[in-house]
Amino acid sequence: MIGAQLAGNLTQGLVLGGIYGMATMGLSLIFGVLRVINVGHGAFIMVGAFITLWMFTALGLAPIIAIPIALVVGMALGFIFFYSAMRRLIKAPELTTLLATFAIGILLEELIKLVFGSEFRGYNWAVGKITLPITVFPMSKIYAFIGSVAIALLLYFWFKKTRAGTAVRSVVEDSEGARVCGVNVGWVYALSFAIGIGLTTASGVLLTMFIPVGINPYMGGGYTLKAFVIAVLGGLTSPYGAFFGGLIFGLIENGSYTLFALIPGVEAFAMTRFLSFVILLLILLIKPTGLLGAK
Amino acid sequence: MRAKIVKYYPLIPVYAGYFILFMIGKNLPGMWQLVAMLAFYCAIGQAFNIFLGMTGYVDFGYVAFMGLGTYGMALSIAYFYQVEWLGIGVIVIGLILAIIMASLLSMAVGAVALRLRGAYFAIATIGVNEGFRYLIEGAKIWGGSEGIIFSGQLSQAFGVEKASELSTFWADISVFLIAGIAAFITIYYMRGKIGYALTALREDEDAAKVMGINVTRYKIIAFITSASLAGLVGATAWALKLTYVFPPEAFEIHYSVEFIIVVLLGGAGTLLGPIVGGLIYGLSKYWLAVIVPGFQLLIFAPIIIVIIVAFPEGVIGMLKQRIKGTVLEKFII
Repeated sequence: MIGAQLAGNLTQGLVLGGIYGMATMGLSLIFGVLRVINVGHGAFIMVGAFITLWMFTALGLAPIIAIPIALVVGMALGFIFFYSAMRRLIKAPELTTLLATFAIGILLEELIKLVFGSEFRGYNWAVGKITLPITVFPMSKIYAFIGSVAIALLLYFWFKKTRAGTAVRSVVEDSEGARVCGVNVGWVYALSFAIGIGLTTASGVLLTMFIPVGINPYMGGGYTLKAFVIAVLGGLTSPYGAFFGGLIFGLIENGSYTLFALIPGVEAFAMTRFLSFVILLLILLIKPTGLLGAK
Repeated sequence: MRAKIVKYYPLIPVYAGYFILFMIGKNLPGMWQLVAMLAFYCAIGQAFNIFLGMTGYVDFGYVAFMGLGTYGMALSIAYFYQVEWLGIGVIVIGLILAIIMASLLSMAVGAVALRLRGAYFAIATIGVNEGFRYLIEGAKIWGGSEGIIFSGQLSQAFGVEKASELSTFWADISVFLIAGIAAFITIYYMRGKIGYALTALREDEDAAKVMGINVTRYKIIAFITSASLAGLVGATAWALKLTYVFPPEAFEIHYSVEFIIVVLLGGAGTLLGPIVGGLIYGLSKYWLAVIVPGFQLLIFAPIIIVIIVAFPEGVIGMLKQRIKGTVLEKFII
């Protein structure tokens, strides 16, 4: 009985993990290139969620269509914030970049609150479901998973096969060396920041396809913290590492929740969160390059 | 002897500032609440500055030290309120417990996180903060997610009138005292060996290490000092004043960020900075809540971004550049 339940929850966890992974790729990309931790990460996920909600309820468009829109809006936001603030802070101490990205996150939250209010919202995109022997998936979750894998693959090929992608990789490796070889490092910074934010905003769409309720201006905070754990699992500087980190995190989260629920006298939800931060600290201590890291 | 006293001249504007603030609160009717809030931001800024400002390490989990201090006081009152002969000793035990718990946590965090640098350190402190919060909630320690409410016990131990005086007056006075102590420790560290070591560390940790400075030791000293003071602020400004504590509030990262802003606004690593920052931050928070209730953050967030980009050294940092070579240099650091 518990075995079947565990298997079902792990399957759900794997699917959710794929979306978590995609939701962390932007964070890792920005850290890898700019060495800036985007503490306002979750706010961009929230923006993506509101784009989906608005397009679905006001315009009647399917969440799938919101993915490219959110990507473009996110990239625009990325360029705006990069050229207005981040560009001047790249070489600044952590203190200032951490605070700046946090303030950007607050600004977005408050702007959305101003327009949409702060109550919890949700939508219902009924496109059928598929029944597996161990669990039931609404089709929207399957589409979200396919979407996130597709985006991860696209990013992979963009990195490996295009000139711009190669330039970004060279800056991750050694920004001084890249500059010497004629790479326009300033442009790489701007582009990476914009793509990172775009990916994050698009992942907000995918996350609401998986969990279409609880959309609220302050929903991002929890996702920021999860993204930190996932990014560290994946080595912090690698977007693909982050994707696999997400898969692992989804499995751990759902698996441990199922097991903690068996222990009497503890709150399973909180213990699951506790475990994820224990993992974060262990990895930072033992293997800061991430589970899949080279060295 | 004279040189020794000259060292402490910069404390004059600090204590003068606190004295004026106290007199305003005491003598102008209706100002005490505002003054208490300002003193709180100044005190916590001053405590945080000893670590954040002097080492340059960003601790997003700083609020956890305050939270544990709050728990220390709460536990003391909740357990000992019936022990009659203790009297005011309950509060003393609470304060001691606050220091012990906060410094124990800082040692644990230090052992894990202080090996890491920069962004990795910042993430690790978030991990400790959140992990601790969910451990308390998940394993139902100290009342779990419901926390501890001890206003009843406080009234039982001291009588309703005394308890309310404790919450509305003596708690705030203690915050002033803690701020004063923190200021003294700051200058004592700044003008001592530890201050030079930390400056070297902040500029270039590897170089400092190569020069034979035991960077780990000084980092830990600054961390524990800063954490203990935060624990004291928590035990007074939160526990005694609010008479309750529960995990989502005691470990809310937004508070850590507030305190970072206080330090940065005034000037990280300066003595007078946290006071200037605390006053600016507290006053603008207060006025924005009056003028545009509900939208303070919407206005405050872009202001913060502009300040970070345009004046990264903070008010006192800029002032220090201006007054170089004048008499004021002796008083404002």
